[in-house]
Amino acid sequence: MAIKKKRYALVIDSRKCINCKACVVACKAENKVPVGNFRNRINEERKGEYPKLSINFEPEQCHHCTDPSCVRVCPTGASWQRKDGIVLVNYDECIGCRYCMIACPYDARYFNEEEGVVDKCTFCSHRVDKGDIPACVETCPSKVRVFGDLEDPTNRIHELLSTRRYRVKEPQTGNGPQLYYLL
Amino acid sequence: MHEFNWGLLIVVYLFLGGLSAGLFFAAGLANYLTVDDKPVYARVARMGALLAPWPVAIGSGLLILDLGNWYRFYKLFLHFRWQSPMSIGSWLLTVFTLIAFLYLFAWLKEDERKWIFSKIPATWKQVHRLNVDISSWREKIAMVGFPFSIGVGIYTGVLLGAVSARPFWNTNLVAQMFLFSALSSGAAALLLAMILDRKNPIEKHETKFLVTLDVVFISLELFIILPYIIHGQLSSQAVKDALTLILGGPYTVVFWVFFLFLGLLVPLAIEVYELFPSIFKGREFHGSRNMALTAAGLVLFGGFLLRYIFVYAGQMSSFHRMGMLQ
Repeated sequence: MAIKKKRYALVIDSRKCINCKACVVACKAENKVPVGNFRNRINEERKGEYPKLSINFEPEQCHHCTDPSCVRVCPTGASWQRKDGIVLVNYDECIGCRYCMIACPYDARYFNEEEGVVDKCTFCSHRVDKGDIPACVETCPSKVRVFGDLEDPTNRIHELLSTRRYRVKEPQTGNGPQLYYLL
Repeated sequence: MHEFNWGLLIVVYLFLGGLSAGLFFAAGLANYLTVDDKPVYARVARMGALLAPWPVAIGSGLLILDLGNWYRFYKLFLHFRWQSPMSIGSWLLTVFTLIAFLYLFAWLKEDERKWIFSKIPATWKQVHRLNVDISSWREKIAMVGFPFSIGVGIYTGVLLGAVSARPFWNTNLVAQMFLFSALSSGAAALLLAMILDRKNPIEKHETKFLVTLDVVFISLELFIILPYIIHGQLSSQAVKDALTLILGGPYTVVFWVFFLFLGLLVPLAIEVYELFPSIFKGREFHGSRNMALTAAGLVLFGGFLLRYIFVYAGQMSSFHRMGMLQ
Protein backbone atom coordinates (compact mmCIF):
# COMPACT_ATOMS: atom_id res chain seq x y z
CA MET A 1 0.00 0.00 0.00
CA ALA A 2 1.38 3.38 -0.98
CA ILE A 3 1.90 5.80 1.86
CA LYS A 4 -0.39 8.70 1.23
CA LYS A 5 0.71 12.28 1.82
CA LYS A 6 -1.18 14.00 4.60
CA ARG A 7 -1.88 17.62 5.43
CA TYR A 8 -3.86 18.21 8.57
CA ALA A 9 -6.03 21.28 8.93
CA LEU A 10 -8.88 22.55 11.06
CA VAL A 11 -12.10 24.06 9.82
CA ILE A 12 -13.90 26.29 12.29
CA ASP A 13 -17.54 27.27 11.94
CA SER A 14 -17.33 30.08 14.44
CA ARG A 15 -21.01 31.03 14.13
CA LYS A 16 -21.83 27.84 15.97
CA CYS A 17 -19.52 28.72 18.85
CA ILE A 18 -21.30 29.48 22.12
CA ASN A 19 -18.17 30.31 24.12
CA CYS A 20 -18.62 27.38 26.49
CA LYS A 21 -14.83 26.89 26.58
CA ALA A 22 -15.13 23.10 26.63
CA CYS A 23 -12.33 23.01 24.03
CA VAL A 24 -10.06 25.02 26.31
CA VAL A 25 -10.74 22.71 29.25
CA ALA A 26 -10.41 19.55 27.16
CA CYS A 27 -7.07 20.74 25.83
CA LYS A 28 -5.74 21.57 29.27
CA ALA A 29 -6.79 18.18 30.61
CA GLU A 30 -5.53 16.22 27.61
CA ASN A 31 -2.15 17.94 27.36
CA LYS A 32 -1.59 18.76 31.03
CA VAL A 33 -1.13 22.44 30.23
CA PRO A 34 0.24 24.33 33.27
CA VAL A 35 -2.00 26.63 35.26
CA GLY A 36 -2.16 30.07 33.68
CA ASN A 37 -1.19 28.85 30.20
CA PHE A 38 -3.50 27.92 27.35
CA ARG A 39 -2.98 26.24 24.02
CA ASN A 40 -6.26 27.46 22.61
CA ARG A 41 -8.57 30.34 23.35
CA ILE A 42 -11.85 31.86 22.26
CA ASN A 43 -11.62 35.43 21.01
CA GLU A 44 -14.62 37.51 21.87
CA GLU A 45 -15.69 40.44 19.78
CA ARG A 46 -18.55 42.65 20.88
CA LYS A 47 -20.10 45.27 18.69
CA GLY A 48 -22.72 47.94 19.24
CA GLU A 49 -25.03 48.60 22.16
CA TYR A 50 -28.36 47.15 23.16
CA PRO A 51 -30.60 46.69 21.25
CA LYS A 52 -28.33 46.92 18.22
CA LEU A 53 -25.82 44.43 19.46
CA SER A 54 -23.78 41.58 18.11
CA ILE A 55 -21.20 39.28 19.57
CA ASN A 56 -18.83 36.98 17.80
CA PHE A 57 -16.88 34.10 19.29
CA GLU A 58 -13.88 32.85 17.43
CA PRO A 59 -11.82 29.92 18.69
CA GLU A 60 -8.13 30.18 17.92
CA GLN A 61 -4.96 28.16 18.45
CA CYS A 62 -1.81 27.38 16.51
CA HIS A 63 -2.60 27.69 12.80
CA HIS A 64 -0.05 25.02 11.84
CA CYS A 65 1.02 27.24 8.96
CA THR A 66 2.49 25.91 5.74
CA ASP A 67 5.41 28.31 6.04
CA PRO A 68 5.64 28.87 9.79
CA SER A 69 7.72 31.87 10.87
CA CYS A 70 8.29 30.29 14.29
CA VAL A 71 10.14 27.40 12.67
CA ARG A 72 12.14 29.76 10.47
CA VAL A 73 13.48 31.90 13.32
CA CYS A 74 14.29 29.07 15.75
CA PRO A 75 18.07 29.11 16.25
CA THR A 76 18.38 25.46 17.29
CA GLY A 77 15.75 23.76 15.15
CA ALA A 78 13.68 22.92 18.24
CA SER A 79 10.60 24.31 16.49
CA TRP A 80 9.94 22.00 13.60
CA GLN A 81 7.25 20.87 11.24
CA ARG A 82 6.16 17.34 10.46
CA LYS A 83 5.52 16.28 6.90
CA ASP A 84 1.80 16.27 7.64
CA GLY A 85 2.01 19.97 8.54
CA ILE A 86 1.84 19.74 12.32
CA VAL A 87 4.19 22.25 13.93
CA LEU A 88 5.83 20.94 17.09
CA VAL A 89 8.47 21.88 19.65
CA ASN A 90 11.27 19.45 20.44
CA TYR A 91 11.53 20.18 24.16
CA ASP A 92 15.05 18.77 24.48
CA GLU A 93 16.41 21.18 21.90
CA CYS A 94 14.51 24.28 23.08
CA ILE A 95 16.76 26.75 24.88
CA GLY A 96 13.87 29.03 25.85
CA CYS A 97 14.89 32.13 23.90
CA ARG A 98 11.22 32.85 23.04
CA TYR A 99 12.08 34.16 19.57
CA CYS A 100 9.35 31.90 18.13
CA MET A 101 6.76 33.45 20.44
CA ILE A 102 7.67 36.86 19.11
CA ALA A 103 7.69 35.62 15.52
CA CYS A 104 4.21 34.04 15.73
CA PRO A 105 1.66 36.44 14.23
CA TYR A 106 -1.14 34.68 16.12
CA ASP A 107 0.41 34.69 19.61
CA ALA A 108 -0.32 30.98 19.71
CA ARG A 109 2.64 29.93 21.84
CA TYR A 110 3.26 30.12 25.56
CA PHE A 111 6.32 29.87 27.77
CA ASN A 112 6.36 26.99 30.22
CA GLU A 113 8.08 28.69 33.16
CA GLU A 114 8.68 25.48 35.04
CA GLU A 115 10.41 23.64 32.20
CA GLY A 116 11.94 26.77 30.68
CA VAL A 117 10.74 25.82 27.22
CA VAL A 118 8.16 27.09 24.77
CA ASP A 119 5.05 25.04 24.21
CA LYS A 120 2.02 25.12 21.94
CA CYS A 121 -0.89 23.28 20.38
CA THR A 122 0.23 19.98 18.86
CA PHE A 123 -3.06 19.23 17.08
CA CYS A 124 -3.00 16.42 19.67
CA SER A 125 -0.48 14.62 17.46
CA HIS A 126 -0.38 11.73 19.94
CA ARG A 127 -4.11 11.14 19.30
CA VAL A 128 -4.03 11.93 15.61
CA ASP A 129 -1.28 9.35 15.04
CA LYS A 130 -3.57 6.71 16.52
CA GLY A 131 -6.36 7.73 14.16
CA ASP A 132 -8.26 9.83 16.72
CA ILE A 133 -9.17 13.48 16.44
CA PRO A 134 -7.81 16.27 18.67
CA ALA A 135 -9.39 16.63 22.10
CA CYS A 136 -10.80 20.09 21.39
CA VAL A 137 -12.56 18.77 18.28
CA GLU A 138 -13.94 15.72 20.02
CA THR A 139 -15.35 17.63 22.95
CA CYS A 140 -16.99 20.56 21.16
CA PRO A 141 -20.72 20.29 21.92
CA SER A 142 -21.89 22.53 19.09
CA LYS A 143 -19.64 20.92 16.47
CA VAL A 144 -17.76 24.10 15.66
CA ARG A 145 -14.57 22.27 14.78
CA VAL A 146 -13.91 19.85 11.95
CA PHE A 147 -10.47 18.30 11.84
CA GLY A 148 -9.19 16.46 8.81
CA ASP A 149 -6.69 15.75 6.11
CA LEU A 150 -6.66 18.19 3.19
CA GLU A 151 -5.00 15.61 0.95
CA ASP A 152 -7.87 13.17 1.38
CA PRO A 153 -10.73 14.08 -1.05
CA THR A 154 -13.23 11.98 0.86
CA ASN A 155 -12.65 13.91 4.05
CA ARG A 156 -15.42 16.13 5.44
CA ILE A 157 -13.21 19.24 5.48
CA HIS A 158 -12.74 18.85 1.75
CA GLU A 159 -16.47 19.10 1.27
CA LEU A 160 -16.74 22.09 3.61
CA LEU A 161 -13.93 24.03 1.97
CA SER A 162 -15.29 23.32 -1.53
CA THR A 163 -18.86 24.29 -0.82
CA ARG A 164 -18.63 27.00 1.81
CA ARG A 165 -17.02 30.41 1.83
CA TYR A 166 -14.20 30.78 4.33
CA ARG A 167 -11.34 32.99 5.39
CA VAL A 168 -7.98 32.54 7.04
CA LYS A 169 -6.56 35.01 9.53
CA GLU A 170 -3.83 37.45 8.55
CA PRO A 171 -2.81 35.83 5.25
CA GLN A 172 -0.65 38.90 4.59
CA THR A 173 2.01 37.61 6.97
CA GLY A 174 2.79 34.95 4.39
CA ASN A 175 2.68 32.13 6.92
CA GLY A 176 -0.04 30.17 5.13
CA PRO A 177 -2.31 29.51 8.14
CA GLN A 178 -4.29 26.26 8.17
CA LEU A 179 -7.18 27.23 10.41
CA TYR A 180 -10.11 27.85 8.08
CA TYR A 181 -12.94 29.99 9.41
CA LEU A 182 -16.26 29.41 7.64
CA LEU A 183 -18.23 32.52 6.86
CA MET B 1 -3.47 38.77 27.29
CA HIS B 2 -0.35 39.65 25.43
CA GLU B 3 2.85 39.63 27.46
CA PHE B 4 6.33 40.94 26.88
CA ASN B 5 8.44 37.92 26.05
CA TRP B 6 11.62 39.93 25.80
CA GLY B 7 12.40 42.32 28.60
CA LEU B 8 15.07 44.58 29.99
CA LEU B 9 17.87 42.00 29.73
CA ILE B 10 17.40 41.89 25.97
CA VAL B 11 17.34 45.69 25.81
CA VAL B 12 20.61 45.86 27.74
CA TYR B 13 22.15 43.15 25.60
CA LEU B 14 21.19 44.84 22.32
CA PHE B 15 22.67 48.07 23.65
CA LEU B 16 25.92 46.48 24.85
CA GLY B 17 26.38 44.46 21.67
CA GLY B 18 25.98 47.59 19.60
CA LEU B 19 28.27 49.51 21.94
CA SER B 20 31.08 47.00 21.42
CA ALA B 21 30.60 47.09 17.68
CA GLY B 22 30.81 50.88 17.73
CA LEU B 23 33.85 50.91 20.01
CA PHE B 24 35.69 48.46 17.82
CA PHE B 25 34.78 50.34 14.67
CA ALA B 26 35.98 53.68 16.07
CA ALA B 27 39.14 52.11 17.49
CA GLY B 28 39.91 50.37 14.21
CA LEU B 29 39.30 53.54 12.25
CA ALA B 30 41.55 55.51 14.59
CA ASN B 31 44.25 52.96 13.95
CA TYR B 32 44.05 53.61 10.23
CA LEU B 33 44.23 57.41 10.29
CA THR B 34 47.93 58.05 9.95
CA VAL B 35 50.23 60.93 9.16
CA ASP B 36 53.65 59.87 7.85
CA ASP B 37 52.75 56.26 8.66
CA LYS B 38 52.23 57.09 12.31
CA PRO B 39 48.71 56.82 13.70
CA VAL B 40 47.60 60.27 14.88
CA TYR B 41 44.93 58.78 17.08
CA ALA B 42 46.89 55.90 18.55
CA ARG B 43 45.64 56.67 22.04
CA VAL B 44 42.04 56.64 20.83
CA ALA B 45 42.68 53.33 19.12
CA ARG B 46 44.20 51.87 22.27
CA MET B 47 41.39 53.04 24.53
CA GLY B 48 38.84 51.66 22.09
CA ALA B 49 40.66 48.37 21.81
CA LEU B 50 40.84 48.02 25.59
CA LEU B 51 37.13 48.73 26.01
CA ALA B 52 35.59 47.04 22.97
CA PRO B 53 35.32 43.38 24.01
CA TRP B 54 33.80 43.93 27.45
CA PRO B 55 30.30 45.21 26.72
CA VAL B 56 29.60 42.44 24.23
CA ALA B 57 31.02 39.82 26.60
CA ILE B 58 28.78 41.05 29.42
CA GLY B 59 25.85 41.37 27.01
CA SER B 60 26.25 37.80 25.80
CA GLY B 61 26.27 36.66 29.41
CA LEU B 62 23.00 38.48 30.02
CA LEU B 63 21.57 36.95 26.88
CA ILE B 64 22.37 33.48 28.13
CA LEU B 65 20.83 34.27 31.53
CA ASP B 66 17.64 35.36 29.79
CA LEU B 67 17.14 31.91 28.25
CA GLY B 68 14.56 29.57 29.74
CA ASN B 69 17.28 26.95 30.07
CA TRP B 70 20.51 28.91 30.24
CA TYR B 71 22.73 25.82 30.42
CA ARG B 72 21.45 24.76 27.02
CA PHE B 73 23.01 27.77 25.32
CA TYR B 74 25.67 25.51 23.82
CA LYS B 75 22.95 24.12 21.56
CA LEU B 76 23.15 27.40 19.65
CA PHE B 77 26.55 26.25 18.46
CA LEU B 78 25.55 22.72 17.56
CA HIS B 79 23.34 24.08 14.80
CA PHE B 80 23.68 26.59 12.06
CA ARG B 81 20.36 27.74 10.69
CA TRP B 82 20.85 30.37 8.04
CA GLN B 83 17.19 31.38 8.10
CA SER B 84 17.30 32.25 11.78
CA PRO B 85 18.79 35.66 12.54
CA MET B 86 19.49 34.49 16.07
CA SER B 87 21.53 31.54 14.86
CA ILE B 88 23.59 33.70 12.50
CA GLY B 89 23.89 36.31 15.23
CA SER B 90 25.22 33.97 17.88
CA TRP B 91 28.00 32.82 15.56
CA LEU B 92 28.74 36.38 14.50
CA LEU B 93 28.82 37.52 18.11
CA THR B 94 31.25 34.78 19.10
CA VAL B 95 33.67 35.46 16.26
CA PHE B 96 33.47 39.21 16.87
CA THR B 97 34.11 38.83 20.60
CA LEU B 98 37.19 36.70 19.89
CA ILE B 99 38.51 39.25 17.38
CA ALA B 100 37.85 42.08 19.83
CA PHE B 101 39.79 40.29 22.56
CA LEU B 102 42.61 39.61 20.12
CA TYR B 103 42.65 43.29 19.21
CA LEU B 104 42.79 44.18 22.89
CA PHE B 105 45.72 41.83 23.31
CA ALA B 106 47.50 43.45 20.37
CA TRP B 107 47.20 46.84 22.03
CA LEU B 108 48.52 45.81 25.45
CA LYS B 109 51.82 47.35 26.46
CA GLU B 110 54.61 44.95 27.14
CA ASP B 111 54.56 45.39 30.90
CA GLU B 112 50.78 44.93 30.97
CA ARG B 113 51.10 41.73 28.98
CA LYS B 114 53.82 40.44 31.28
CA TRP B 115 51.77 41.36 34.33
CA ILE B 116 48.81 39.34 33.06
CA PHE B 117 50.96 36.32 32.31
CA SER B 118 52.66 36.59 35.71
CA LYS B 119 49.27 35.77 37.23
CA ILE B 120 49.05 32.51 35.32
CA PRO B 121 50.70 29.52 37.01
CA ALA B 122 54.10 28.81 35.52
CA THR B 123 53.20 25.16 35.01
CA TRP B 124 50.62 26.08 32.37
CA LYS B 125 53.29 26.08 29.71
CA GLN B 126 50.96 25.99 26.73
CA VAL B 127 49.28 29.16 27.95
CA HIS B 128 52.60 30.91 28.41
CA ARG B 129 53.45 30.26 24.81
CA LEU B 130 50.76 32.79 23.98
CA ASN B 131 52.83 35.50 25.62
CA VAL B 132 53.96 37.04 22.34
CA ASP B 133 54.02 40.56 21.00
CA ILE B 134 51.41 40.89 18.26
CA SER B 135 51.34 44.68 18.11
CA SER B 136 52.39 44.52 14.46
CA TRP B 137 49.08 42.74 13.69
CA ARG B 138 46.93 45.66 14.83
CA GLU B 139 46.06 46.84 11.35
CA LYS B 140 45.31 43.36 10.11
CA ILE B 141 43.10 42.54 13.08
CA ALA B 142 41.28 45.84 12.70
CA MET B 143 40.66 45.16 9.01
CA VAL B 144 39.37 41.64 9.64
CA GLY B 145 37.30 42.97 12.52
CA PHE B 146 35.57 45.78 10.60
CA PRO B 147 33.04 43.59 8.77
CA PHE B 148 32.36 41.66 11.96
CA SER B 149 31.80 44.81 13.99
CA ILE B 150 29.45 46.14 11.32
CA GLY B 151 27.83 42.72 11.27
CA VAL B 152 27.22 42.73 15.03
CA GLY B 153 25.95 46.31 14.92
CA ILE B 154 23.48 45.58 12.15
CA TYR B 155 22.52 42.13 13.39
CA THR B 156 20.89 43.52 16.53
CA GLY B 157 18.52 45.36 14.20
CA VAL B 158 18.05 42.42 11.85
CA LEU B 159 17.07 40.26 14.82
CA LEU B 160 14.03 42.48 15.26
CA GLY B 161 13.50 43.56 11.66
CA ALA B 162 13.31 40.01 10.32
CA VAL B 163 10.19 39.22 12.35
CA SER B 164 7.35 39.48 9.87
CA ALA B 165 4.71 39.23 12.58
CA ARG B 166 5.66 42.56 14.21
CA PRO B 167 4.90 45.47 11.88
CA PHE B 168 6.71 47.96 14.12
CA TRP B 169 9.98 46.14 13.42
CA ASN B 170 9.40 44.63 10.05
CA THR B 171 10.74 47.40 7.87
CA ASN B 172 14.07 47.43 6.12
CA LEU B 173 15.21 50.51 8.04
CA VAL B 174 15.45 49.13 11.56
CA ALA B 175 18.73 47.34 10.88
CA GLN B 176 20.47 50.49 9.63
CA MET B 177 18.98 52.53 12.45
CA PHE B 178 20.47 50.15 15.00
CA LEU B 179 23.81 50.07 13.18
CA PHE B 180 24.24 53.84 13.12
CA SER B 181 23.03 54.12 16.67
CA ALA B 182 25.60 51.48 17.65
CA LEU B 183 28.43 53.29 15.86
CA SER B 184 27.41 56.57 17.44
CA SER B 185 27.23 55.01 20.92
CA GLY B 186 30.70 53.57 20.38
CA ALA B 187 32.19 56.94 19.45
CA ALA B 188 30.42 58.57 22.40
CA ALA B 189 31.56 55.90 24.86
CA LEU B 190 35.11 56.31 23.63
CA LEU B 191 34.90 60.08 24.06
CA LEU B 192 33.49 59.62 27.55
CA ALA B 193 36.22 57.18 28.54
CA MET B 194 38.99 59.38 27.11
CA ILE B 195 37.70 62.41 29.01
CA LEU B 196 37.26 60.54 32.27
CA ASP B 197 40.75 59.06 32.09
CA ARG B 198 42.53 61.74 34.09
CA LYS B 199 45.93 60.08 33.95
CA ASN B 200 46.18 60.62 30.22
CA PRO B 201 44.25 63.83 29.54
CA ILE B 202 42.52 63.83 26.18
CA GLU B 203 44.06 66.09 23.56
CA LYS B 204 42.11 68.53 21.47
CA HIS B 205 42.62 66.79 18.17
CA GLU B 206 41.37 63.55 19.71
CA THR B 207 38.22 65.20 21.04
CA LYS B 208 37.67 66.76 17.65
CA PHE B 209 38.06 63.41 15.91
CA LEU B 210 35.56 61.64 18.14
CA VAL B 211 33.09 64.52 18.11
CA THR B 212 33.24 64.66 14.32
CA LEU B 213 32.77 60.92 14.07
CA ASP B 214 29.75 61.13 16.35
CA VAL B 215 28.20 63.99 14.37
CA VAL B 216 28.44 61.88 11.23
CA PHE B 217 26.86 58.83 12.87
CA ILE B 218 24.10 60.80 14.59
CA SER B 219 23.24 62.49 11.30
CA LEU B 220 23.07 59.13 9.56
CA GLU B 221 20.87 57.78 12.33
CA LEU B 222 18.60 60.80 12.19
CA PHE B 223 18.09 60.37 8.47
CA ILE B 224 17.13 56.76 8.97
CA ILE B 225 14.64 57.56 11.72
CA LEU B 226 12.83 60.23 9.73
CA PRO B 227 12.29 57.97 6.68
CA TYR B 228 11.29 55.16 9.05
CA ILE B 229 8.40 57.29 10.31
CA ILE B 230 7.50 58.70 6.90
CA HIS B 231 7.62 55.30 5.18
CA GLY B 232 5.62 53.80 7.99
CA GLN B 233 2.92 56.39 7.58
CA LEU B 234 2.77 55.64 3.86
CA SER B 235 2.89 51.88 4.36
CA SER B 236 0.16 49.29 4.90
CA GLN B 237 -2.42 49.76 7.62
CA ALA B 238 -0.69 47.38 10.02
CA VAL B 239 2.55 49.39 9.95
CA LYS B 240 0.62 52.62 10.28
CA ASP B 241 -1.23 51.20 13.28
CA ALA B 242 2.04 50.04 14.78
CA LEU B 243 3.49 53.53 14.48
CA THR B 244 0.68 54.91 16.64
CA LEU B 245 2.68 53.40 19.51
CA ILE B 246 5.10 56.32 19.12
CA LEU B 247 2.62 58.74 17.55
CA GLY B 248 0.16 59.18 20.37
CA GLY B 249 0.51 55.75 21.95
CA PRO B 250 2.29 54.73 25.18
CA TYR B 251 5.82 55.30 23.81
CA THR B 252 5.24 58.77 22.35
CA VAL B 253 6.88 60.80 25.10
CA VAL B 254 9.83 58.51 25.58
CA PHE B 255 10.43 58.45 21.83
CA TRP B 256 10.06 62.12 20.96
CA VAL B 257 11.19 63.85 24.14
CA PHE B 258 13.71 61.51 25.71
CA PHE B 259 15.11 59.66 22.72
CA LEU B 260 14.82 61.96 19.72
CA PHE B 261 15.22 65.30 21.47
CA LEU B 262 17.43 64.57 24.49
CA GLY B 263 19.26 61.55 23.14
CA LEU B 264 19.83 62.67 19.57
CA LEU B 265 19.13 66.32 18.74
CA VAL B 266 20.61 67.88 21.88
CA PRO B 267 23.95 66.03 21.63
CA LEU B 268 24.01 66.74 17.90
CA ALA B 269 23.45 70.42 18.60
CA ILE B 270 26.18 70.45 21.27
CA GLU B 271 28.66 68.73 18.98
CA VAL B 272 27.88 70.97 16.03
CA TYR B 273 28.17 73.99 18.30
CA GLU B 274 31.61 72.76 19.37
CA LEU B 275 32.81 72.09 15.85
CA PHE B 276 31.28 75.11 14.15
CA PRO B 277 33.88 77.81 14.98
CA SER B 278 36.80 75.59 14.05
CA ILE B 279 35.30 74.52 10.74
CA PHE B 280 33.56 77.64 9.46
CA LYS B 281 35.44 80.48 11.16
CA GLY B 282 38.91 79.03 11.08
CA ARG B 283 39.32 79.32 14.84
CA GLU B 284 41.02 76.79 17.00
CA PHE B 285 38.92 73.89 18.32
CA HIS B 286 38.38 74.41 22.02
CA GLY B 287 36.76 71.20 23.04
CA SER B 288 34.96 72.05 26.25
CA ARG B 289 35.22 69.11 28.61
CA ASN B 290 31.76 69.55 30.09
CA MET B 291 30.09 69.97 26.73
CA ALA B 292 31.70 66.80 25.42
CA LEU B 293 30.80 64.90 28.59
CA THR B 294 27.18 65.98 28.34
CA ALA B 295 26.93 65.14 24.65
CA ALA B 296 28.54 61.72 25.05
CA GLY B 297 26.38 60.88 28.05
CA LEU B 298 23.23 61.88 26.22
CA VAL B 299 24.17 59.83 23.15
CA LEU B 300 24.59 56.72 25.29
CA PHE B 301 21.31 57.46 27.04
CA GLY B 302 19.60 57.84 23.65
CA GLY B 303 21.17 54.65 22.30
CA PHE B 304 19.80 52.71 25.23
CA LEU B 305 16.35 54.27 24.90
CA LEU B 306 16.18 53.45 21.19
CA ARG B 307 16.58 49.77 22.02
CA TYR B 308 14.17 50.05 24.92
CA ILE B 309 11.47 51.62 22.75
CA PHE B 310 11.93 49.18 19.90
CA VAL B 311 12.02 46.02 22.00
CA TYR B 312 8.89 46.91 23.95
CA ALA B 313 6.82 48.74 21.35
CA GLY B 314 7.67 46.12 18.73
CA GLN B 315 6.29 43.33 20.86
CA MET B 316 3.06 45.25 21.33
CA SER B 317 2.58 45.67 17.61
CA SER B 318 0.84 42.91 15.73
CA PHE B 319 -1.33 42.22 12.73
CA HIS B 320 -4.47 40.90 14.32
CA ARG B 321 -4.88 43.26 17.22
CA MET B 322 -2.69 45.88 18.73
CA GLY B 323 -1.51 43.71 21.58
CA MET B 324 -2.14 45.35 24.91
CA LEU B 325 -3.59 48.49 23.42
CA GLN B 326 -7.07 47.01 23.54
